[in-house]
This record gives sequence, structure tokens and C-alpha cells, in this order.
Amino acid sequence: MQPKPPISGIIYGEIAYWIAIVGMIIGVVGLAIYLGSGGGVMSPDMISDLLSGKSPKELWEKHSILRKMPESPHWYVNYIGKGDAIAMLGIVICCTSAIVAMWATTVTLFVKREVKILYGIFALIVSTIMTLAALGIISLHH
Amino acid sequence: MEGFRMGRAGLIVGLTVLIMSIGVASAQELTNPAIFAGTLFVVCTLIGIVAVLAGVGGGVIFTPVMMGFTNIDSYIIRATGLTVAMGGALVAARPFLRRGLANIKMLLFAAVPYTVFAVIGALLAGYVKATMGTFGEGVIRFALGILVIFIGLVFIFAGKRIEYPEVKHVDSFTERLGLAMAYWEESLGRVVDYKVTRAWLAMLCFCGVGLISGLFGLGAGWAMVPVFNLIMLAPLKVSAACSKVLIGIGDTAAVWPYMIGGGIVPLFTIPSLIGLILGTLIGAKIMLKVKAGFVRWLIIAIMFASGIRLILKGLGMMGVM
Repeated sequence: MQPKPPISGIIYGEIAYWIAIVGMIIGVVGLAIYLGSGGGVMSPDMISDLLSGKSPKELWEKHSILRKMPESPHWYVNYIGKGDAIAMLGIVICCTSAIVAMWATTVTLFVKREVKILYGIFALIVSTIMTLAALGIISLHH
Repeated sequence: MEGFRMGRAGLIVGLTVLIMSIGVASAQELTNPAIFAGTLFVVCTLIGIVAVLAGVGGGVIFTPVMMGFTNIDSYIIRATGLTVAMGGALVAARPFLRRGLANIKMLLFAAVPYTVFAVIGALLAGYVKATMGTFGEGVIRFALGILVIFIGLVFIFAGKRIEYPEVKHVDSFTERLGLAMAYWEESLGRVVDYKVTRAWLAMLCFCGVGLISGLFGLGAGWAMVPVFNLIMLAPLKVSAACSKVLIGIGDTAAVWPYMIGGGIVPLFTIPSLIGLILGTLIGAKIMLKVKAGFVRWLIIAIMFASGIRLILKGLGMMGVM
């Protein structure tokens, strides 16, 4: 008799996988648009400075249409028609996939009670840390 | 035997041609966005192939190679290193969880210290960058150089893994957690019902592994598999599966402080991410046909070369050399 894998684990795997795949596809489409249109929020001239070791702040100040470092990683929202903004959206979706999946797993663990409640608490702690990091609440404000 | 030799020769020739073609691209050509993205994609595909053949994750090679052999800002490289490690792990996790190979209880138990310390490592990276400038960049490169040489030594001297470790004594802490779980082992055609032990020690180790992963932007499978397999005494396949899933969880949390710090440059991140995942898929196909034990030594050589470059660069930035 083959043991059945816990449904909470399967839920994590499926959600994380599919959201990550969608994010990657959007990222590739964004990159293709950027390369096809010859620019975006960041000018292509940025590459020589990137290769010479300039910091993210210097790159944003010199080569972006914002002329300054964005305050939020969600800068793409205001420029969603541009290739690199679409690519950034893809990356953000990819980086959010495990958070959504972990919350779904947490809920499943509490509802289904497949394993000890302690593991539901562990999942809740991890989900909370991931969410706080994504919201920028756990960050260095320098 | 002849087919094996042909495959091995073909792989070496292919790798050499690719490396030479990348070397031929001049710095001037690289500033063209399409050539830059294409070159990065090819390099990362190559890293992905070699990594799979050597039995490691691409994330552990990407960061040292990029930091050792390019001048790109280390914060951007580390942010991308975490993203590629995370992306690869998210894609790979699905079959392990569907088959029950990844133990959800062990995963969640390890995820707490690993995630907390990966985030602390990422915050520490931001702090060093903000307060220590070029000296801080030098310290990070130097420390990563030492770490990468240590990882190379681990590959040489501590490569011994145990497929089904025997657990003679389960301590009371691990017993109370009830971490053990059974899974169906296809190759044996039976259920493997295993025990684990020393969870408290593993928890301490995951704190350190998380800190290293977050601070240096490295995938941490090289450290997590031994913790699961040699400290907790979980079966090797379970250890590898748990490690892969755990990277996806912990590195997701760690990548956000980098993203907020502006470390993600889409033109750099997307070709790296897609290249490494494609390379991993190609590598997995090649692995079925080619006995690639020699690639392990190639990886060790890459690790040592990157480590030495990182140490020299780090010392230069710190003003020591």
C-alpha cells in the first residue's frame, strides 16, 4: 500500500510551480519587448555601467527615466507598457509564488489536520515572515 | 563504452566551443542589449548543465563565477543569485511534493530557522552595502572567496553521502516532533519508513546555512543535503528533495530585501534565470546518457578559480593588496 503524500505539500508544489512559470513567461515576454523596442524605463546604455560595477543607485540615477532610485520594488506599475517593467512584473510574480503557496499550505494544515498542529504554526510563522519581507516591513530603511 | 566516450568528448568540445565563443565577444559588443542578454543566457545555460551533471544547484556556481569574473556590483549579482536559486527550486519542487519524497514536516521544521536567518543575512548584506562602501564590497568578496574554496574542499573530502542511514537512537526532542514519514521508493518497489534524529542540532545548522545563503546570495543545497542526510540521518533522496523545496521557501523571503534595495535589474535577471533553468533541464537529459563523474572535478576547479579570484579582488578592494 503506497502512502498518500500530504495534500498540504501537493498544494504548495502546484501553486508555487504554476505561478512561478507564469512569472517567468511574463518576464521573457517583457525582455523580448525591451530588446525589440530598444529601451524601456532603463536605457540600454546602462549595460556598460552595469558591467563596470556601478551600484543600483548610480544605474537608476544615470540611466532611468525616473532619474532616481525607485522607493518601491513595484516601480513597474506606473510603466507597465515598457518591456523592462513587464519583465520586472514577471520577476515579482515569480518571487510571490512561494508566498501564495505557503499561505495556501498553512490554511490546508489548519483545516485538514493531516499533521500535528505544531506544523501549521511553523507554516504560519514562515508565511508571515515571507509576507513581511515582501511588503518591505522587514527591511533596512537607509 | 564507445558511446560514452563519444558523449563525453562531445560534451567537452561543446563546452569549450561555447566558452571560446563567449570569450570572443568583446566588451564593446556586450554593451548591445541583445548580445548582452544572449551571452548571459548562454553562460547561465552552460552553468546549469554543468551544475546538474556535477550534482549541485546552479545557484551555488552562478554567484561566485559572476562575482569572481565580472565587475558587476555584488549586490546585483547576489540578488540575481538568490532569484535564480529560488526560481530553479520552485520549478523542481512540484514532483518531489507530489510523490511524497519531500517530507512536509521536516520542511516546515527547517523552514523556520532557515527563512529567519536568510532574511537576516539579506538585511546584513544591505547594511554592509549602505555603511561600508567599497571596503564592505571587498569584505563580502573576500569572505565569499574563502567560503567557495571551503565548498570546493567539501566536494573533495566530504562527498560521502549515505543512501539509507541507520538511526540507532532518536533523542526525546526529535521524538516529540514526530518528524518521520514514510514514502514509496520506486526503485525498491516498497515503502521506505524512516526515522530521523538530532533535530535540535540540525535546527542550529539551518540558522547558519540560512545566514550564508541570504548574505552571499547563494543556493544552499550543498549544505542542506548533508544536514538532512548526515546530521538528521534522513534518506539521501528525501534530503535532496527537502533541500530543493526549502531553497524555494527561504530564498523567496531573502530575495525581497534585495529587491527593495534595487538589486534586481530585469535585463540581467531574466536571461540568468531562464538560462539556468533551461541548462538544468538539458543537464538532466544529458545525465541519463553520459557518465559525468569528470564534471565534478570541473566544478571543483571552477570553485577554486572563482574563490582565488574573489579573494584577490576582495583584498584589492579592502586596500590590502
